[in-house]
Amino acid sequence: MEHPNNELRNDELDALFAEYKAAVPDREASANFMPQLWRKIEGRQNTLFRIKRLSQYFVAAAAAICILFATMTLALPNGTEVSSSYVDVLAQAYPTENLASHGILDEADTK
Amino acid sequence: MLVEFELIQKAQAGDGAAFNQVVVAYRKRILGTIARLIGRPEDVEDVAQEVFLRLYYSLDQLRTPEVFEPWLYRLTVNASYDYLRKQRRRNEARMSDLSEQQVMMADAAAGGRVSSEENRLKQVKDLVDALLGSVSEQDRILLTLKEVEGLSLKELEKIYGVNENALKVRLFRARQRVLNAFGATQKGRSAKPAERKS
Repeated sequence: MEHPNNELRNDELDALFAEYKAAVPDREASANFMPQLWRKIEGRQNTLFRIKRLSQYFVAAAAAICILFATMTLALPNGTEVSSSYVDVLAQAYPTENLASHGILDEADTK
Repeated sequence: MLVEFELIQKAQAGDGAAFNQVVVAYRKRILGTIARLIGRPEDVEDVAQEVFLRLYYSLDQLRTPEVFEPWLYRLTVNASYDYLRKQRRRNEARMSDLSEQQVMMADAAAGGRVSSEENRLKQVKDLVDALLGSVSEQDRILLTLKEVEGLSLKELEKIYGVNENALKVRLFRARQRVLNAFGATQKGRSAKPAERKS
């Protein structure tokens, strides 16, 4: 069973809440309410419009860059194709005879 | 419903005049609800404008007329909650920090020592605002919708999209906290004469 004090307090709280609605009744808006609301709506619309336009510019720029790179890749002549490994390229550039003359390898190793 | 669904459909189609009519039909009620939810008269219009702004930009998502009002309430609840959260960041005023002045207001409100009806109502408002400060912003809003606005559990279920039992539990706990805070103000009131004697 609920304590009589709590029950009393519950009733008092209910009464207080009921009075609260009377203390803060529904109210009329000020004369500026609608103009301000429309200003806010238009302000957000402009922001959204600007963001949309910026993103459109960004997409267009990205597409242009892609096309440019693709054109450059197709138009430029093919360079020397690297079909050998890095070690092979080094071996070609520095034949063993040269290494021997620099004293890196023995003469006997080159034969 | 305060407006015909056709009017809402026109507003959905971008008819500014129809949207204006919807706002005019609901703004008094929404302003009152917000005033009771946030407890700060100076910011009520700002929050209400935020509600209607959100309504304007989300109107196209509305499919059935029955959900318009719960949906508008949900926008109201969300905007009020955002406002209260920002306010809390600015100023942490809780029931545990009830000032001497607030206890005196409670004293005056309960003791009937008030000069006029207007003063008495102001004291009731301040006391309830202070009591609702003892629960979280979410609970404050839920409790106000139920106890002050008089919404049924079914209506709250539609607004929150949560089942009735979960709401009942939450409401019970919130009410208990407010009751405890209310008890504390009453204790403070009864302790004061003893302090005066000593």
